[in-house]
Amino acid sequence: MNYHFDWSVLWTGQSGQWLLQGVVTTLEISVLAWLLALGLGTLSGALRTVPFAPLRALATCYVEFFRNVPLLVWMFFWYFALPPFLPQSLQDWLFNHGAEFWAGTVALGVYHGARFSEVIRAGIQAIPKTQFEAAISTGLSTGQAYRLIILPIALRLIIPPATNESLNLLKNSSVALTIGVAELTFQTRQIETYTARAFEALTAGTLIYLALCLTIAFVMARVERRFAIPGMIARVGAAEH
Amino acid sequence: MLQFVNDHIVCRPVICKSLCDRIFIPVVEFQHVNKWFGTLHVLKEIDLQIESGEVVVICGPSGSGKSTLIRCINRLEAVQSGEIIVAGKQLSDPSLDLRALRAEIGFVFQQFNLYPHLSVMENITLGPIKVRRVSREEGEKTAMQLLERVGIPDKAGAFPASLSGGQQQRVAIARALAMQPKIMLFDEPTSALDPEMINEVLEVMTDLARDGMTMVVVTHEMGFARRVAHRVVFMDEGQIIEEGKPESFFAEPKSPRAKQFLSKILFH
Ligand SMILES: Nc1ncnc2c1ncn2[C@@H]1O[C@H](COP(=O)(O)OP(=O)(O)OP(=O)(O)O)[C@@H](O)[C@H]1O
Ligand SMILES: [Mg+2]
Repeated sequence: MNYHFDWSVLWTGQSGQWLLQGVVTTLEISVLAWLLALGLGTLSGALRTVPFAPLRALATCYVEFFRNVPLLVWMFFWYFALPPFLPQSLQDWLFNHGAEFWAGTVALGVYHGARFSEVIRAGIQAIPKTQFEAAISTGLSTGQAYRLIILPIALRLIIPPATNESLNLLKNSSVALTIGVAELTFQTRQIETYTARAFEALTAGTLIYLALCLTIAFVMARVERRFAIPGMIARVGAAEH
Repeated sequence: MLQFVNDHIVCRPVICKSLCDRIFIPVVEFQHVNKWFGTLHVLKEIDLQIESGEVVVICGPSGSGKSTLIRCINRLEAVQSGEIIVAGKQLSDPSLDLRALRAEIGFVFQQFNLYPHLSVMENITLGPIKVRRVSREEGEKTAMQLLERVGIPDKAGAFPASLSGGQQQRVAIARALAMQPKIMLFDEPTSALDPEMINEVLEVMTDLARDGMTMVVVTHEMGFARRVAHRVVFMDEGQIIEEGKPESFFAEPKSPRAKQFLSKILFH
């Protein structure tokens, strides 16, 4: 085989612009979906441990429903199946304002929220029950005890698995290309189509994803160090401020 | 002037605290209390009255229901039958403000349970600021006084993990006192401590008792019970087997079970 590499396809023509737009869209969808996932995950993960059965059941339903549906099916559902049930005016508005982007964001956020939920529940359950009892014994409400004591401890404990989930979320944002979101994978394929340079285009995509993920891992490691609880078993050097 | 109603709050402190202390006004009252964990009958027909200013030590073999009993007082455990009255409030009352009640009751755990992500100062001021709505400034002033009282004013900025067990337990006591409770409950406060740290905690508790705090203490520290308690309650298998003044309880326990228990605990 005699393949002539031509890396210039990545910056000649529109390629550079496409890649940049792809990165921006990937970051937008990922950040919004991440915020949604973290919010839903924290709420439902906490609810799964509260001393009130109906709330626990509600949160369990959420988790079991969403983590057991393939992301792809779920994205199709949000994009193709759901809009016809919306009022016509809202449908029109959505399709003029990037319906695929919002469907992708919500699908990704809700799906990963269910996965975050389990991570957060595990973090909460690692805290002895008496810690919660100590908090409510001073007159704090259950809500205050969770907000001020239980979640701040649990969220610190779960940074490593939460980093994993965050990286998965970013990578899974590529699934949104199937409903037409022009994110990084979409743009990479577009360059490939236009230039017939699959190796160069996909190498660029791979390296960009790698760089994004490594950046996230680095930032999360900093966060972990910054918020380390003094006296807990820490990663090497984590306790030094 | 002095009204007598079945509610200790009616005795206005302005009049005379020591007089109040001598009048028998129960702060905690158990009436025919029964509790089950599943099929396990852990509390059986408990009747108990604790007066204002009284120090009551609860002892008994492992699994006899001491922790369960004390945890019922601030309703960390609910009971299935009988009535518990704390500071004039019936705990079975559906309209009971449980948070307000718990704010009046300090609870000290065997495992300290300090908040590991907060400094000693924040551990102590959290309750007063969030529940009592005192200002941070005022909360910190009170906290410093309490840290002086428990003998570790220099640890205000430290985190729990950097403290010894004895120091952590003293912070836990200060944290409970910061809420200005009417009653202090202790569930084996020294059982997780190395021997050399037990005394520093018992000293703080002794001072508290001398200041007139109403205290219910589950402990195996019979020396503390002898010196400080007004009354010793002996439990076995979910029942109160006998109770009495420490002098008589230790000198001549009436029940064979108490005799047997004391022979193990005093001469081990
Ligand atoms: N949450 C619970 N669920 C089921 N059983 C329980 C629970 N808590 C306690 N028990 C059981 O109830 C009984 C009384 O327990 P409790 O903790 O009150 O005993 P204790 O006198 O404090 O013992 P120890 O000296 O070991 O602390 C024990 O048999 C215990 O196993
Ligand atoms: Mg116990």
